[in-house]
Amino acid sequence: MLEIRNLHVTVGGKEILKGIDLDIRAGEVHAIMGPNGSGKSTLSYVLAGRDGYVVTEGSIRFKGKDLLEMNVDERAAAGVFLAFQYPLEIPGVTTMTFLKTALNAQRRARGEEELDAVRFLKLVREKSRPLNVSDDMLKRSLNVGYSGGEKKRAEVLQMSLLEPVLAVLDETDSGLDIDALKTVAEGVNALRSPERAMVVITHYQRLLDYIVPDVVHVLSQGRIVKTGGKDLALELEKSGYAEYGADAA
Amino acid sequence: MSEKATQHFIEVYEETRAALPGAGGWLARRREAAIGSFREAGLPHRRMEEWKYTDLRRTFEKASFGPAPVHEGAVVLPERRSASAFAAIDRHVLVFVNGRYRDDLSRAGHLPKGVELHALDDVLHEQWAKDLVERRFDDARQAENIVDLNTALMSDGACLRIRKGVKLDKPLHLLFVAQDAGASHTRNLVLLENEAEATIFETHIGEVASFVDVVTDIVIGDGARLNHVKLQDEAPDAVHLATMRARLAAEAKLSSFTLTLGCGVSRGQSFVLFSGEGAEASIDGAYALRNRQHADQFCVIDHAVPACTSHTLFKGVLDGESEGVFQGKVIVRPHAQKSDGRQMTHALLLSRDAAMNAKPELEIYADDVQCAHGSTVGELSKEAVFYLRSRGIPEAEARRLLVLAFLEEALDLAPHNQAKDALKLLVSEWFGEAAP
Ligand SMILES: Nc1ncnc2c1ncn2[C@@H]1O[C@H](COP(=O)(O)OP(=O)(O)OP(=O)(O)O)[C@@H](O)[C@H]1O
Ligand SMILES: [Mg+2]
Repeated sequence: MLEIRNLHVTVGGKEILKGIDLDIRAGEVHAIMGPNGSGKSTLSYVLAGRDGYVVTEGSIRFKGKDLLEMNVDERAAAGVFLAFQYPLEIPGVTTMTFLKTALNAQRRARGEEELDAVRFLKLVREKSRPLNVSDDMLKRSLNVGYSGGEKKRAEVLQMSLLEPVLAVLDETDSGLDIDALKTVAEGVNALRSPERAMVVITHYQRLLDYIVPDVVHVLSQGRIVKTGGKDLALELEKSGYAEYGADAA
Repeated sequence: MSEKATQHFIEVYEETRAALPGAGGWLARRREAAIGSFREAGLPHRRMEEWKYTDLRRTFEKASFGPAPVHEGAVVLPERRSASAFAAIDRHVLVFVNGRYRDDLSRAGHLPKGVELHALDDVLHEQWAKDLVERRFDDARQAENIVDLNTALMSDGACLRIRKGVKLDKPLHLLFVAQDAGASHTRNLVLLENEAEATIFETHIGEVASFVDVVTDIVIGDGARLNHVKLQDEAPDAVHLATMRARLAAEAKLSSFTLTLGCGVSRGQSFVLFSGEGAEASIDGAYALRNRQHADQFCVIDHAVPACTSHTLFKGVLDGESEGVFQGKVIVRPHAQKSDGRQMTHALLLSRDAAMNAKPELEIYADDVQCAHGSTVGELSKEAVFYLRSRGIPEAEARRLLVLAFLEEALDLAPHNQAKDALKLLVSEWFGEAAP
């Protein structure tokens, strides 16, 4: 589903990713771990298509297509979703309006029928309940005044509503209390399917107890330095990143 | 001999004065005096502080406007949505074509007792009309002087007087259509006696090279309340000049909101004078400009007595090579303690070639007051656009959502719910329009 080959990326003139190779097949969950500043978020932004992240070498193919040729919203409509490490606050745009606009824009782009207000509302309610996202939150401006945990839950709500093909979760677990962590993990697990793939970026083994990965990668200084099974996360928890050459912060 | 553009209007006056309303009476004398002052001051230009960003003299050097013809035939409302923005609201409608009242197109149903609604010609013999026309504010003379041009040439207008304690049953909609090219000079007079209430909508539309010069003189009595929603959307080669002068007695309330979709050059001037304690004025607006449009908001609030509250918020978006201007002044007189005055203006530049000039000022001579002013100019947040797009919202729609969100705070101040929704819809559709 996702094939990354020899990916080099510079940000602000500085090379951050220095030759990433990564293959993700449908149905798999990959975890990416690694020290602060190693380039995990950079990788996720490149997948989403953020400005200022310049690919100087290499390629990314998604479902057989050149992902780098697609613009940001085309990628989303094709099924790429990034749960942001730091979700942005958007004053004046209610979460409800935002969700409806996004869902219908994607449906339109895929040639599907748009949902009317009634069907949309029903769907949002259905998806919000298990994530403990209240009606009140939905009526407020997107992420404005949400607590750290609420922001992360709202990201997962967006994901369950948009039902992406490839979901990248960038530290969706950070800032969550243990109950919220379980709720979020359940939300993610509910989306797991043979047609979907997920990339879970995290610093903590704990999340991976709930979202059990098929493959774990260690990213350090812009390179994938080790790849293993779910036990690799346990090892890292014990020994840290020292042997991979910890990054300067 | 004054310069050419000024001279042009003086000649128009000399040619048309005999046919203007009020010939032979006090107004004729008032017109004489006004044209004299206009000749002396000349058309305002950018070397005057209060016209620094809007040089009317240059505007009229580049494009000259003869008097708009009296249009008696059928009227084709412009296609633009602004023409029917308030159509779904139950209201009285007065239609003015090329600045002249058209009875056949108007629909002012049965009015409550105590509501007097007339065209200008019919109230000139009344003392209150004379008082309103003759009154000056003198808080910003360079800006107010241009009213002399209107006084000299005014040909028609809506005159509303509401007797003590009477409420106008539904909004009164003044619809001004510029049907043919040329200048029109309109004078509206509004007198709300104590405890009276009214809501006025005012729409200016046109697709011709018009110069619309409209002055609205307002007196709001003790405890009376006036809501005003104005929408201006005229042609790229049109000039719009509007001056509102309002005096508020004790506990009176004025809420005035203007949505400016603009024209070539537009300037909206608001003068508010508090003459009784405990009054409140909210003079707000939103604007959305594109291409080479220029829109100027000029707003002076005079806290001449204690314990009044004023609020001014203008928010706008500027695309293309458009230019926005806000000049404002809150004056608090020495004995006007407990005044509360706020004046804010915020603009979003949607293009590199758009520009905003903002100059809010405070002139405070009392010590026990709460006053604040501020202005910001920014751009759409790239991060926010990216966030929305990353969820599949196309760029144009993402920008539209964010701009609406930005303008919403101002639009929410429009003092009539249905009108507010109509304005929001217009702004939302503004994005869908292909640039002409
Ligand atoms: N605009 C920029 N200009 C220069 N360097 C940048 C810029 N943005 C990010 N970087 C650098 O890129 C490196 C990788 O950052 P990134 O956010 O991808 O790390 P990360 O692995 O997600 O870290 P964390 O675990 O702290 O979230 C960091 O050294 C960071 O300072
Ligand atoms: Mg990160």
